Amino acid sequence: MEKMIPVDRLARPEDHVLVPLDKIREARLEQGLTPFNAMPFEEDFLKTRLHGICAGEFQAMEAAGRTLFDFPDAPWEFQLDMARQVWDESRHSEIYMKLLDYVGSYLGEFPESEVLWSCTQIDDPACRVAGINRGLEGLACDVFEQLIRMAQKMGDPVIERAVDYVLADEITHVRMGSKWMRKLTEGDPERLRKAQAFQDNIDNLFNFGGGRTTQEGAAQIKQRLGDKEVEIDATLTIAREARLLAGFTDEEIERLIKGMGKSAAY
Amino acid sequence: MPDLGNRANVMGPQPIGPIKQPAPEMMAAIDRFLAMLMSGNPVEALAMTDEPARDRVAHIAGAIKPGVYKRMSILGKARVAEHYFVKARLSGSTGESLTLQFRIGPGSGGRWTVREAANLTDVRSAWTK
Repeated sequence: MEKMIPVDRLARPEDHVLVPLDKIREARLEQGLTPFNAMPFEEDFLKTRLHGICAGEFQAMEAAGRTLFDFPDAPWEFQLDMARQVWDESRHSEIYMKLLDYVGSYLGEFPESEVLWSCTQIDDPACRVAGINRGLEGLACDVFEQLIRMAQKMGDPVIERAVDYVLADEITHVRMGSKWMRKLTEGDPERLRKAQAFQDNIDNLFNFGGGRTTQEGAAQIKQRLGDKEVEIDATLTIAREARLLAGFTDEEIERLIKGMGKSAAY
Repeated sequence: MPDLGNRANVMGPQPIGPIKQPAPEMMAAIDRFLAMLMSGNPVEALAMTDEPARDRVAHIAGAIKPGVYKRMSILGKARVAEHYFVKARLSGSTGESLTLQFRIGPGSGGRWTVREAANLTDVRSAWTK
């Protein structure tokens, strides 16, 4: 079987609309929206955000599966961890499909972009886990922690608890990534440097034009919610506590925060 | 701090809402656009297309021989705010088919226009580089 599978070989039902990220960005800009993601002030924010996560869970499941297949000589415990992650991500996909239904959406209402899968295109398992498990799953910790706080403010225990359940898994995935990035590069500082550089690239890619900030530093915007008004973060935040639980060091988190705002990845 | 855009009509986050239905006018515009392409009438199809996408649509229209395709079907549609990406197929009576994907959005006066288009006939998906 082919290794390093290109993004367009991922199987999707024919009725799914797949669109490159740059085309989605163009569509958003043409409508006067920010280019990267649906923002909290948008009418469809919650649906769009949950849909993006759901598609991300599918691609995360596929990515872990490919990592398992692509590196048959990796330690057996590594393969077991990747297999476990496939199982976790498949459950997450189902959870988010149900949450989409819950908020009045469905898988396929919005286009799916290729960007997460593109991050798997590297042939070293140490880089793969650094990029996917530490970079992307670290980002998932940020996104989920923020969603949980929003759900709390909305008074919605279904979203709050469902996302908290998934976040608990994501924390273990990051820990897994940290463990294997170090183990696989033991005694090989150059390989470790490359893995960290690959993760840095992914962190920069998802910097969203410098629009992210700390939870404490996030501007708040008022949102109407039925008959009440709540304040929520205006931008995506960095979940310090969840990242510490996941095994990121204070220094790494600080580096991430300082990096926010200077990337020109987009 | 990035520009947060127009907040005058903020409604989100929404705890539970109905599934958003596509506008009937858009569905009619999609049918019209595909019918024009199928009938080999590029002038009419181009009249529904915004300037940046005209070359692409002209190219797709040029690949369609009038009378070859008898049926059209919408395979899928997905939206980005008010714009929709539409995947559609034209089929002939002897097995020929053409698959295309285009983005359509509302313009001034409620007129729906095509903003971009791609011929997916010989590629696996719009993700193909």
